[in-house]
Amino acid sequence: MANAVPVERAQPAVRASARRQWLAKYARREIVPRLLLIPLCGFYLLPFYWMLVNALKTNEELSIYPPSWFPDEIAWSNFSRAVEVFPFWRFLGNTSLITVFTVIGVALTNPIVAYGFSRIEWPGRDTIFYLVLATVFIPYPALIVALFDIFAQLGWVNTFKPLIVPFFFCFIPSPFWIFLLRQFFLRIPHEISDAARLDGASELRILYQIIMPQSWPALSAVSLFAALHAWNDFLGPLLYLQDTSKYTLSIGLTFFQSQSRYDIQFNLLMAASALVILPVVLIFLSFQRAFVEGVTVSGIK
Amino acid sequence: MVAETIVAPSRAPAKRRGHLRLSRRERRNLAVGLLFISPWLIGFLVFLVYPIVYTIRISFTRYTGFGEPEWIGLDNYRNMLHDDLFWTAVYNTLYYTALAVPIGAVVAMILALAMNQPLPEVPIYRAIIYIPSVIPLFTLTFVYQNLVHPTQGVFNRFLIWLGLPNINWFGDPRYAKLALVLLAQYGAGQVAVIFLAALKGIPASLYEAASLDGASAWRRFWGITLPLMTPVILYDLILGVSLGLQIFTQVYIISGDPPGGPANSTLMYVVYLYNNAFRFGAMGYAAALAWVLFVVTLVLALLIFRSSRWWVHYETT
Amino acid sequence: MGNDAWRDLVRKLRSRRIDRREFMKRASALGAGAMAISGALRQVPTRAQEPTTVTFWTTFTDPDLSILQSMVETYNSQAQGHQVELVQIPPAQVTDVTKLMTAVRGGTGPDVYHLDRFIVAQRAADGLLQDLSGLGADLSPYIAFARAEATFNGKPYALPFDTDARALYYRHDLLQSAGIDPAELDPANGPVTWDRIAEIAGPLNQQDSAGNYTRMGFIPWVNQGWHYTFGFSWGASFFDEATCTVTPDEQAMVDASTWVQNYCIELDAAKVNAFGGPTMQPGFPVQQHPFIVGTLAMQITGDWAINQMETYAPDAEYGITWMPVPKEGDQSVTWAGGWSVVIPQGAKHVEEAWTFMQWFAGEPGQRIYTKESKHLPTIEALLSDTELFEGRHQFFAELLPTAKNRPPLPVGAKYWDELTVAWQKIYLNEEEPASALATVKERVQPDLQRFCPIEMS
Repeated sequence: MANAVPVERAQPAVRASARRQWLAKYARREIVPRLLLIPLCGFYLLPFYWMLVNALKTNEELSIYPPSWFPDEIAWSNFSRAVEVFPFWRFLGNTSLITVFTVIGVALTNPIVAYGFSRIEWPGRDTIFYLVLATVFIPYPALIVALFDIFAQLGWVNTFKPLIVPFFFCFIPSPFWIFLLRQFFLRIPHEISDAARLDGASELRILYQIIMPQSWPALSAVSLFAALHAWNDFLGPLLYLQDTSKYTLSIGLTFFQSQSRYDIQFNLLMAASALVILPVVLIFLSFQRAFVEGVTVSGIK
Repeated sequence: MVAETIVAPSRAPAKRRGHLRLSRRERRNLAVGLLFISPWLIGFLVFLVYPIVYTIRISFTRYTGFGEPEWIGLDNYRNMLHDDLFWTAVYNTLYYTALAVPIGAVVAMILALAMNQPLPEVPIYRAIIYIPSVIPLFTLTFVYQNLVHPTQGVFNRFLIWLGLPNINWFGDPRYAKLALVLLAQYGAGQVAVIFLAALKGIPASLYEAASLDGASAWRRFWGITLPLMTPVILYDLILGVSLGLQIFTQVYIISGDPPGGPANSTLMYVVYLYNNAFRFGAMGYAAALAWVLFVVTLVLALLIFRSSRWWVHYETT
Repeated sequence: MGNDAWRDLVRKLRSRRIDRREFMKRASALGAGAMAISGALRQVPTRAQEPTTVTFWTTFTDPDLSILQSMVETYNSQAQGHQVELVQIPPAQVTDVTKLMTAVRGGTGPDVYHLDRFIVAQRAADGLLQDLSGLGADLSPYIAFARAEATFNGKPYALPFDTDARALYYRHDLLQSAGIDPAELDPANGPVTWDRIAEIAGPLNQQDSAGNYTRMGFIPWVNQGWHYTFGFSWGASFFDEATCTVTPDEQAMVDASTWVQNYCIELDAAKVNAFGGPTMQPGFPVQQHPFIVGTLAMQITGDWAINQMETYAPDAEYGITWMPVPKEGDQSVTWAGGWSVVIPQGAKHVEEAWTFMQWFAGEPGQRIYTKESKHLPTIEALLSDTELFEGRHQFFAELLPTAKNRPPLPVGAKYWDELTVAWQKIYLNEEEPASALATVKERVQPDLQRFCPIEMS
């Protein structure tokens, strides 16, 4: 690295050009990326910003045309009113419980299955893998009737089990996550695992001590997706939960609509949504470090 | 590189000596392999086999969901050919997928590269880009609808400010699908995160070596970054095609009464399937629709997979 | 590269052994934990032990939900041997019964379900609902159209609950600003013609420099300006019982559609759509509705808008009048919809459910609901009870006896969808009315055919 940088020749004639070079480098590293990133972030921040602004508007201000960019009178009370439209804290607890167990299930089994599809060579492996992937190509609405029959037979309706247990067994959309992990596992050089195998290490140990530490970014991405899936899932809770006390936040959000669906308490919906996504944003902020630090931890690259 | 010389027994191509006659090592690998995938196997047997068999069976019947299914052979499949709504749905869905998948991949790549900049405040950028992906779809679609309001929406006021024509995104049948493609870009953070993870997995030593050789950033992207990203690009294409062909929720939330409006311009395949199953009492027809979509998706996915051996690079050596 | 690193890792592997058995034990413990917790939650009793609990699913949300809740409480306080539990389920497109269907199939459905009445016939034909004739259902106290909607092939499948009706709302301030005396539209003067509405609306339209409308007099299709609204006004019937055919293409409907299409073309259909279209999307904030904001002078909507106006535009001066007519001297026609209660297949407590329904949808229940919710009752006797209706509601109560209803067909959902698609093509000027409406018939009639003949009560 040290030898990569041309040693500067501190002659007065070239000092100006060196400065220009330094400036160009500064611009390339510090300014250009920001010129790209900031408008991009503007676009991606817009829905969130709009949600917050509308969450803080009074009914009167919501009706102003064109809509204002910032509320004149900040209606904090929207938040307290929003959490009264449905038992917010109870639904939050339910959703958290489902989410935590879904993530545990996914984190426990998906890497193992992905390992089986990427790091062990066995006859028929790829064919079965295509079958795994194919299951997510079946339009889900076509399956829900028969799926419900199964859960009804098991006596699981109106419990969290249909929302949690299948994720310990790689249920849809887990195949996508398995696929993703497989793609990452396949990229890891075989040299180390082969050597470990020669040393008599079990496959499970290779997975947990060699493959997983090198796949932190992918593992954190998958856990995040699993968490989001559980957190925001609507169809599952809609079908399987039959008791208001068991509902989840995504169900609660629909209660801001009138039964005709044409009258919506927009500001309250926005306020509740802001509360709903808050934990997820926090989770993301802590997860995103994993994308960066995961690699340095594994120390292999 | 040295490691390449070390024997890698498990990757030796399995010599086919007939189907059942496997070597001891192969038999052991088969057992271990099956053991590793057993969580999926159990889940498949318990939760999926019955729904799959059931759905295939009722696709040959007329069935409202109640009473006895009436066997009608291939009629459901045959009826599709004459059902112009089926063709409308096919057209809309392919139109959407053909646009959303490639655009989504390019956008996600740009986002991932942006999220990978070595700036101190980059975690904030990452969070911002990812936030729309965590907003519940129910809320996001409504906010988006507000943003693209034909006269008062922020987007449209921006278009006007740029001197571009005003677009009635969701109200005009010509633009409604484009509005959905644009909406999908708000979810690009999901794929960008995967791409970012892959970017992080590229050994810095490769870039250093290339820089030493005097390769420009552009060259480094095409020569190193892109090839090493191909495994996740493959993933994104399969995921994108599958999710694109199955687009449902946002349409169902956004398009009002009936779902798929205005004038059937957003009548997507799965929306039509859902309507048949749960609103029109045509469960059998919906099941047949499901299998046709399944086969089409499978063929597309297989084509992508087959092609992948020409353009996807695995090991980072 | 990294040769040392991997040697190091292998060494670490040797020294720090993971006990596989231990790992598996922990993993299964976690799985068992998940089941135990969800199982425990399932057993949390939601109310004290009672002999029988009748479950009642509703898609209603507040404010109407609270009224239902207090009704159920009132009922429970005097019910004998059973209690009703009201369960709120998420609102959905009214013809979407996914949750109910899956639950009933799985044997976990409710005892009573709140169903949009116009879809009763379809769900009865699907085999989802129980025939109530065995329980001695008597629909005679109900208004004619509600009776018709609750019946399929001569058998009662539902008890009608509330109803609604459509009328023309007009804002005094806007009309006055264009020099029109709002008194012209006063119901006392009888209905005006659609053409007259167009004349009144004309001067109210305002556009900005780009040609976008900033204010409009009237948009036929906004809010409750549906196909049925205009079709009924022109005298269309949508179904011919004698031949068992849907008749979306009858002349009256073509005429109505042509009037709407011409109106939109005159003002530039796309621009009208840019102004009014967003109000027809589910996420549109009602606070921004042009009639509430004061940028739309007239609209067709239902009685529920009275409450909306009270909430969101309490100071607006407005009137409600007859649905306009095609020609001077024609009879003004409106249509009504509303909800009903049904017993789905597989209900576990049919007797108790039936007892509750009779109270809930009967005179005692409807009296409470009408008073609290300001919706309209379907029991004929209650319509003449003037103390139930305040001011503006009185007008709607008077409209009801002559109101039409959508033909209760086993293909009601599809018919509605197809009509709406055609309607959108008509007002967006994408297709000629005659051909768009002919398509509706082409698509719906084959589905209807297997149910023929259909007997309308």
